[in-house]
Amino acid sequence: MGCKNVMVYVETAEGKPVNVGLEMLTAAKEVAEKVTAVVIGAADAAATTIAYGADEAITVDAAEYNTEAYAGIMAALVKKYAPEMVFVGGTPNGKDLGARLAATLKAGCVTDVIAIKEADGKVVLTAPLYGGCIYSDSTVDGDVAIAIIRGGAFKKADEPDTAKTGAITAETVEAADLRAKIVNSVQEISESVNLEEAEIIVAGGRGVGSPENYELVKELAGLLGGVVGATRPVIEEGWISRAHQVGQSGKIVAPKLYIAFGISGAAQHVSGITGSDFIVAVNKDEDAPIFEVANIGIVGNCIDALQIMIEEVKKMKSE
Amino acid sequence: MEILVCIKQVPDDSVNVKMNPATGAPDLSNITPIVNAFDTYALEMATRLKEAVGGTITVVCVGPDKAKDAIKTCLAVGASNGFIVKDEVTDTISTADALAKAVAKIEEAQGVKFDLIFCGKETTDCASGQVGTMLAANLDVPVIPNLVDIEAIDGGISAKQETEEGYNVVEAATPCVVTVTKPAYDPRYPTIKSKMAARKIPIGELEVGGVAAAAVSVVANAEPPKKEAGIKIQEETIGDSMAKAIAMMKEAKVF
Repeated sequence: MGCKNVMVYVETAEGKPVNVGLEMLTAAKEVAEKVTAVVIGAADAAATTIAYGADEAITVDAAEYNTEAYAGIMAALVKKYAPEMVFVGGTPNGKDLGARLAATLKAGCVTDVIAIKEADGKVVLTAPLYGGCIYSDSTVDGDVAIAIIRGGAFKKADEPDTAKTGAITAETVEAADLRAKIVNSVQEISESVNLEEAEIIVAGGRGVGSPENYELVKELAGLLGGVVGATRPVIEEGWISRAHQVGQSGKIVAPKLYIAFGISGAAQHVSGITGSDFIVAVNKDEDAPIFEVANIGIVGNCIDALQIMIEEVKKMKSE
Repeated sequence: MEILVCIKQVPDDSVNVKMNPATGAPDLSNITPIVNAFDTYALEMATRLKEAVGGTITVVCVGPDKAKDAIKTCLAVGASNGFIVKDEVTDTISTADALAKAVAKIEEAQGVKFDLIFCGKETTDCASGQVGTMLAANLDVPVIPNLVDIEAIDGGISAKQETEEGYNVVEAATPCVVTVTKPAYDPRYPTIKSKMAARKIPIGELEVGGVAAAAVSVVANAEPPKKEAGIKIQEETIGDSMAKAIAMMKEAKVF
């Protein structure tokens, strides 16, 4: 075993662990003798972490998420329990939390970890560099190492083992004074977009050409019961909300089927889709890099292709 | 407002980096060095704030001599002073420590105290997103990450922070550190005149010394495993191509 004790911060949403929280428990089991899950402000989620692989869990009562507050809590727990590694899920909040915790503890921290292995008794963390063009292996010196784990890089347990037992300890950490105050929280994106768990993703890039054409991408996704994915340029054009962004600065996805229309395949996008089981890509440029990762590549006009596929799915449904 | 913008020179992120098999390191030799995109957003946001409330912008970059080009670029689009920090850094801890020490030296050299320190939320090469937060911890000041907008308020700043569902309005007293993501606007371009003026500004050189040891060491680099090449279809018409593709998708039971 690479280390004795890994502490895993399991982020929750509406009281339930987020996917990457449970995925990290699988990753932690591979390198640690003991896996301790931490849930903050959602004590009921502790049992779920045990069922998904944690040996024990710690709960801390706290108000809703605030990076400064939660990093303070995690730092106090690290000082008390002295784990050799802390795993944090690579959600937007998790990335902030991991960085803040590393800063507080003066600990080495690797972001976007996609693989963990052991070499010469040391834990080696793999993370993408240069937009996913290079995979870099690092080791971390010091009393504690922090790994911010990329969502989708590990698989959570297929089925929770609800018969499994483990100690659940409630800890109290005094709230520190917050220096940056959230005075208002505004929800602009009301749709819930679950790209991480989608089985089918229909994605459109700048090659789709216009917001009107983009409706075809949405239509096909709807017909297939899938989710719409998008590239960064499309988000910047405002054709669809940023909740749909796939890639380095968006969501990392692993559907059974990923259909890409008018996406050239920049490294930053491709690095987010290589976990897909089957990739179909349509692009008018026969040298587009997307074809290097596609199981089926179609050279041609992506609007025509979209319309043909929409008709085909409609026909299949009526049969 | 006295503003410091921390920048990094990175390889052009529109170019795909390959390994150099001879050195076992990424081959960056033929890739144009540019200012990290998120740092250009930070500089633009800082410049707009300066234009609104007055003040001066200083740019600091930890890097080798050639990183002076990145500083010159910034001097042509809003910054008035530039400093290069030549200490060797290899990870986020050492970078944040060098920057914190540089802040003290620049403040002393210029006889000012910075009210606000801007960083990009991450770099396009390493994408760790840690340095801004670590710098704030080293300076013992508040930090607000992932901004898309900022304004000065009495005694501090009010920032619009991007969240997954929308945004937060976050307030902090100055001095503080902010990190910037892509705002709704693009960074401005330099003019010939501003480029000429930038060239005349001397860049301060610093060696801060005693930089904290790195905690993270890279032990190996590799290109990601290649996916097995698939099938490319290019029939006479898109209709023929799609018919063939759809048949194959059905055969693979993905459709």
